Amino acid sequence: MDRRSLTVIIATVVLRLVLFTAFPSLPNLLTNRVELSTPVTSFKRLQEGLFLYTHGLSPYDGGVFHQAPLLLAFFTTLPSNPIVVYLVYILSDVLSAYSLIQIAASGVSVSTPYHTSSRKSSTWPPWAVAAAFLFNPFSIATCIARPTIVFTNTVILTAIAKGVQGRGVAAVLALAMASYLSLYPVLLLPPMVLLAHDSLPAVKKKGRSLGSFAAVLTAVFTVAAAVLGALSWGITGGSWEFLASTYGVHLLLPDLTPNVGLWWYFFIEMFDSFREFFLCVFQLHLAVYLAGLCLRLRKQPLFVITTLLGISSIFKSYPSIGDTALYLSLLSLYRHIFPLMRYTFFVTSTLLYATLLGPAFYHLWIYAGSGNANFFYAITLVWSLAVTVLVSDAIFAVLRDEWETERPEMKGKEIVQI
Amino acid sequence: MAEKIGGVFDAFGLKTGKQKFEYTAAGGVYAGENVYAVLQAPRGDATEALVLCAAWVNTEGELNESGVALVLALARYLKRWSLWSKDIIFLITSDSRAGPQAWVDAYHDLHTPPAVASLPLKSGAIQGVVVVDYPTSRGFESLHIVYDGINGQLPNLDLINTAVRIASGQMGVRTTLQEMWSHDNQYKDRLRTMLRGMVNQGLGHASGPHSSFIPYHIDAITLQAYGDGWHDEVTLGRTVESLFRSLNNLLEHFHQSFFFYLLMAERRFVSIGTYLPSAMLIAVNFTIAAIGLWLKSGRLNDKEENKSSDGKASEGKNKLLESAGEVPSAAEQPDVVSEERPLLLSMAFVVATHFLGFMPLYLFNNLDEKNFTSAFYIFTLLNVILPPVLCAIFTKSFAPTALHFTLIKCFSLLLLGMFLSALATLNFSLSFLIGVFASPITFINPTPKRKWTVGAAWMALLQGLTPTTALVGVALYWGEPLSEILKEAAFGWRVWGMWTQVVVWCVWWPAWIIAGVLVAGSWAVEA
Repeated sequence: MDRRSLTVIIATVVLRLVLFTAFPSLPNLLTNRVELSTPVTSFKRLQEGLFLYTHGLSPYDGGVFHQAPLLLAFFTTLPSNPIVVYLVYILSDVLSAYSLIQIAASGVSVSTPYHTSSRKSSTWPPWAVAAAFLFNPFSIATCIARPTIVFTNTVILTAIAKGVQGRGVAAVLALAMASYLSLYPVLLLPPMVLLAHDSLPAVKKKGRSLGSFAAVLTAVFTVAAAVLGALSWGITGGSWEFLASTYGVHLLLPDLTPNVGLWWYFFIEMFDSFREFFLCVFQLHLAVYLAGLCLRLRKQPLFVITTLLGISSIFKSYPSIGDTALYLSLLSLYRHIFPLMRYTFFVTSTLLYATLLGPAFYHLWIYAGSGNANFFYAITLVWSLAVTVLVSDAIFAVLRDEWETERPEMKGKEIVQI
Repeated sequence: MAEKIGGVFDAFGLKTGKQKFEYTAAGGVYAGENVYAVLQAPRGDATEALVLCAAWVNTEGELNESGVALVLALARYLKRWSLWSKDIIFLITSDSRAGPQAWVDAYHDLHTPPAVASLPLKSGAIQGVVVVDYPTSRGFESLHIVYDGINGQLPNLDLINTAVRIASGQMGVRTTLQEMWSHDNQYKDRLRTMLRGMVNQGLGHASGPHSSFIPYHIDAITLQAYGDGWHDEVTLGRTVESLFRSLNNLLEHFHQSFFFYLLMAERRFVSIGTYLPSAMLIAVNFTIAAIGLWLKSGRLNDKEENKSSDGKASEGKNKLLESAGEVPSAAEQPDVVSEERPLLLSMAFVVATHFLGFMPLYLFNNLDEKNFTSAFYIFTLLNVILPPVLCAIFTKSFAPTALHFTLIKCFSLLLLGMFLSALATLNFSLSFLIGVFASPITFINPTPKRKWTVGAAWMALLQGLTPTTALVGVALYWGEPLSEILKEAAFGWRVWGMWTQVVVWCVWWPAWIIAGVLVAGSWAVEA
């Protein structure tokens, strides 16, 4: 880490500490925002689960707590001082930034064994990527609100950082942890295998075909997930209840608390007889992008991971701002394709509009009583539209960049899709 | 006072409670004691309640003698009936501004002890509030219905309609709105009623004791007896009784579609579908201008690049795409922002200006009331010289080009449009009024080749449209000294949770400062 990265990290740690301590009502205010805390990540629900757990009851009784049991074990070991909790979350963000610095320093976003962008001179240096993550208001708000998505994000970024270093086993172990915490990162396994394989040093690569490499890593992943599951089984006193209360909630959506995603309203409005069908459709929809992206963007597995994170931040069952913050921070690795993107201004202003109007409409609906659920849902649609446009625009730009690298004579020419 | 009235309630056989409160705002202390009694509904289950309220002293500082007497009399009268299905709370507050707020905060457990005491006695969810304000013992001529809530939130129109129907239909009392004592129901008077309503809504202050209830999603109005006439307490009492029987019959809340309206006369209103487009058009004007500037900045950029690498440039349009890889000097330096739009500097400037707005916000909310007048004059003076000074500092230290100024204006307008359109959904009038005041900002052109006379004219116009001028305007409109207005604002911030000043200082003022910097930039860049 160079001096600039260190400065950035210290500055944001100080900023977060100031926000935590100088505005004592801020953490609780943000914790109650539905945009930041979902039923599966909320800090308040975590506290509820902790209370039940420390009093010898099953934390999943009452149907409030839907988070992984290891989090309980982790938080019970912490002293109950709020400052310690703040520091844990800040440390988590710092680790994320450190992973981002490693990813940026590796240069995988511009040059992989199969593709080297012709624009690679215009990437951001690692400290700028870290700053783009740490100073992002969405990341800061997420950190202050203390949802457990912060830990998932850290583990995902750690996995990617290990992946770009070619340390496949470490990457997959971290990914297993991320999937254990919030299920959907399991979708990242195939591109992660590709990424780790691509990043292997040439000496090591010789003896190992992609197939055997993938088989080994998948086995490691399965074993790691099984071990984590067994640990949880032990922590919760030999009961499998946690499976239904954590992953079951991700999959079956029993809690329809509003969030920035598209599911809650849809499933409130739906007739019960169609519920199972649409649950399947919605879940499959998330997985459907995986194969296509892995094949089409085979040259850049890191971008596949980025895009999948972007897609799941729109379409997963309980998305929050923290997911979008993760996507945006990974996108900042792709600074060199920004000039090729066509809708940056539109996306930025739409995101800003949604950020302002979302809380306003939520206020009208819940507090003032002069609006209704449609107000807030309309804004979550706008938000999702903006992120969708951003994701597809980034894919366009990366494909265009690949194409221009293959055919330098076409640089800057108008293209027509047939 | 509280002891006596509590004794009277006790004598009626009602459960009574008292609450002491004390607020400090702008160096002043606002203390008092509320007293209230709960009439338990013979046919209800104490899940819902209505509130009949009178302040000991009304908003004008007059003793509300008949109002309080009427509430006491009604307490005795209504208790005899067996038809109530909702509890009725009789509330006498010691003043009109802090008392109701303290009571309603404590009722919902959102108060801050020990400054505001907790309530010893509670009932169900409050469904409606009627405040009686009758400060004389003479007869009155008409009933003035006050309905504005804090931050421009309004009670359900159906409550106002009910009150108007009962008063004019059953009792034959004329009703008036917004201090329009004579209303001929023609265009001019309707317009004036509407504009007065908009100013009150836009300022977002409490217009009566009922205002504090409205943020809690409780429909509330104040009935003020006005003028000299032959109506007496009995008429007002019957009106209130009828109103309470109507509220008592409600099975649920009033329907949600009648919260957004502008009243023109007691039976005429403008609905949201008609008025919202006007505020939205004003807000969208800024957004469209920002989009236009963004596109223009792209072209400006091309021109500059063509100039800088004249021979090499081929097609201007594709230059932006090409430049990233082609310009050799860019390969060495990590900071390649210079090839595209210089976003960082402009963005940082706009964001910094918006954070600057917290200074006057903090200042005017925390100063002592004695210093308000002098602080205001000093601030006005600073306000005049701030844009040129800021511009001078900015140009000296960063050497911005015309493109920077275009982008600064672009982001500033984008933010302004965004804030105003979000605000239009919360407080239409405030958004509209600020939008009208700020609309000239769209037309300020940041080109450096302006003649100084035009720049000076713009500057003069801008100085006429500052938030400080608006404050003076409000003071003149109300006919009160400036310090009173600032005191009211600081009091509103502390006690009512009013956020009008946040909008003024953190949305409007920064946009104005940036406009001033742009005008000043007309001279600075050329020099």
